[in-house]
Amino acid sequence: MIYKWKRLGENSLFLAPSVILTLTLGIYPLIWMLRYMFYDYAGYGEALFTGLDNFSRLLRDTLFWESVRNTFVFAGGKLLLTLPLSLLLAVILNGRLRGSNLLRGIYFMPTVISTAVISVVFYNIFNSYNGMVNTVLMKLHLVSQPVDWLGPKHAMLTVILVAVWGAVGNYMLLFLAGLQSIPQDLYESASIDGANAGRRFWNITLPMLAPVAQMVIMLAIIASLKGYESIMVITEGGPIGKTEVMYLYLYKLLFPVSTGSPVTQQLGYGSAVGFATAVIVGAVTGLYFFFSRKMNKVY
Amino acid sequence: MSIKGVERMQKKWLGLSLSLMLAAGIAGCGGNGNNNKSGGAAEGTPGAATASPTASAAAETGEPVQLKYWTDDRHDQEYIKELVNKFNETNGENIQVELTVMSENYAQSVDIAFTSNQAPDILRLKSGNTPEFVKKGYLAPIDGYLTDEIKTKFGSLLIDGVNRFDGKVYSLANTGLTLRLIYNKDLFDKAGIANPPASLQEMVDDAKKITETGKSEGVYGFALNFKSPKSAFDRSMREILSLSGYQGLGFDLETGQFDFAPYSQVIEYFKQMYEDGSILPGAETLDIDPLRAQFAAGKIGMYLSFSTEPGVYQDQFPTEINWAGTLAPTLDGQIKGTSEIVSAGTWLGISAKSAHQDAAWKFMQYMYGDDILKTYHEKGFGIAVVPSIVEQAKNPEIGGMEGFLVGEHDSLWPAVPNVTPEGSTYADAFFKYMLSGGDAKAIAADLNTRYNDALSKAVEKGEVTVTPDPAFDPMKPQGE
Repeated sequence: MIYKWKRLGENSLFLAPSVILTLTLGIYPLIWMLRYMFYDYAGYGEALFTGLDNFSRLLRDTLFWESVRNTFVFAGGKLLLTLPLSLLLAVILNGRLRGSNLLRGIYFMPTVISTAVISVVFYNIFNSYNGMVNTVLMKLHLVSQPVDWLGPKHAMLTVILVAVWGAVGNYMLLFLAGLQSIPQDLYESASIDGANAGRRFWNITLPMLAPVAQMVIMLAIIASLKGYESIMVITEGGPIGKTEVMYLYLYKLLFPVSTGSPVTQQLGYGSAVGFATAVIVGAVTGLYFFFSRKMNKVY
Repeated sequence: MSIKGVERMQKKWLGLSLSLMLAAGIAGCGGNGNNNKSGGAAEGTPGAATASPTASAAAETGEPVQLKYWTDDRHDQEYIKELVNKFNETNGENIQVELTVMSENYAQSVDIAFTSNQAPDILRLKSGNTPEFVKKGYLAPIDGYLTDEIKTKFGSLLIDGVNRFDGKVYSLANTGLTLRLIYNKDLFDKAGIANPPASLQEMVDDAKKITETGKSEGVYGFALNFKSPKSAFDRSMREILSLSGYQGLGFDLETGQFDFAPYSQVIEYFKQMYEDGSILPGAETLDIDPLRAQFAAGKIGMYLSFSTEPGVYQDQFPTEINWAGTLAPTLDGQIKGTSEIVSAGTWLGISAKSAHQDAAWKFMQYMYGDDILKTYHEKGFGIAVVPSIVEQAKNPEIGGMEGFLVGEHDSLWPAVPNVTPEGSTYADAFFKYMLSGGDAKAIAADLNTRYNDALSKAVEKGEVTVTPDPAFDPMKPQGE
């Protein structure tokens, strides 16, 4: 009996740090947000209960809905480029190539480099007045005038390319781990039966990778919908809101920045926007899980 | 259980207990760094009324009074360190000031410090953060310390909504920032332009000429840091409007309402420059430092900015180009108002949570001494706005600063209410118009509706007070 109590005490102590951290850094902020989304609150003074006012404002807030649209364009573009590219790289580097370990390291490098630093570098590469991309394009006579890569027409494409560069190595590594778990004897049997490389990829690699791919794609979807850091550094959501994504819009409501006149936090409305963004990301992820449920039952 | 098992168990418990003690110890160290400061002066009580005995008691016991002084100014830190060291050696009351120069996120750091009872005793205050710090109850009023001499020296610079709130004074002025058109004389000469523009139409024409002359070499007539439209317009439109006779942030001081009609007139000229191709390509996402780098490289004909620029071109981006600052152009070339001096009226303030407010005031008094304020101006760290200092101080020895000094066309303007409207800000709305067109009058009308709605709500909630001044004269914004 004493042993059981001791065991319970010991277990509780081991659990305590994670329980305390979850409660203070996860549950408490969540409850805080769920409460303040019904208030008008600027971070100081009295918080005024306003019922559903924040949500009716949300419905008529064109800037928010534009940011939702931009988020889907950004996430869609990023996923369409990142996932095939990272799978391709994973398949290539899964073979017994010379230097494949070095290449894996190089492709994975963007994942460990600071997003802020790398975004400043990309700003300098793409800026239209002395950026390297324009210099090369003009020297090769591919364009006669500098292209405004960060202007209203091309800014979204540019931030997608930067995001793809940053994400490919990460998903490549996850796909690689999935590929390495596929038993080699399946490939050997298929080869004996005369299956060529394309056939082996289509009939063995893809189906066997499906359960891993399901998780990788889910992670990629969530990361794409929530991504805003590089955009904040490169364009700050501009020009004229063309790259303003949901989480950047939310960030600006909660942590407004201004070099000149005073700015005020909108914690009440920000909480409502935070709730709406979480619902949107949750709904997309839920739908994905529903439609991809068969990927888990391949074999 | 075996003996070994019991020993293992005991070791585990010992380890866990030690970890907990260590964690508790760390938490204790990170607790109240102010040593009982939370029990100090009551919030909002004038300093003299809370005359803290701490300083004299500390002097008697030999324990120094430790004051924490936080600033986010980096340009003057060496000079401020010198002043702090001198104060620490000479104050005679065993007061020791510790200076902390913050980098980014100053306001957030101050928030965290106040919520965790580790607030500094003395804070650098700027016009951008003071109203919020007062509303949050961070600052102690200093009225009780203001002698007649101090009132005479700073009296004309006590402004509601800037350094005085609800009749209580929280800070005093030192320097301000003037705003000017900054232009590359070499590029103007090359384009055959004799003088900088006096009207907006001239600015449009000059930008076009400079671009035509220099485009093949990557030279353009005009640029602003449009990555943040608010930052860009608040350093350009604001000055153009105030010199043209209108408040520069879209507020009509006569009616006490927002009116963006004058703003919509000025934006037409910016739009014209954009359509002419006279604005540096990529300016849509240009930050201020890359802009300065391009200006220093001789690629930009002109832009508008603060009086911080001479210092920037001396230290941050040393340049060979021949440049100068001059008054901003106006709507029709006529000066019908005064150029607004911004970020003036505040410098240092005392924490409401400080247990050593008297000692903090002693330090403030030292910093606001004539010699220090004079030297601060002469070294070019800021432009003096205190009348008695302006009279005494020599011109700063920084190249280009002569164009930024306070002159007959500069003055402080009344503070305008800070409101947060629903939807896009005036800067975002007008920048969108500049790039993609639309109906400027409709945009101004929509902004008026949204800003005035937000203003009504803020007044209703008691967050701001508005007093229309039908007799407001933009040539004398502070009255006679």
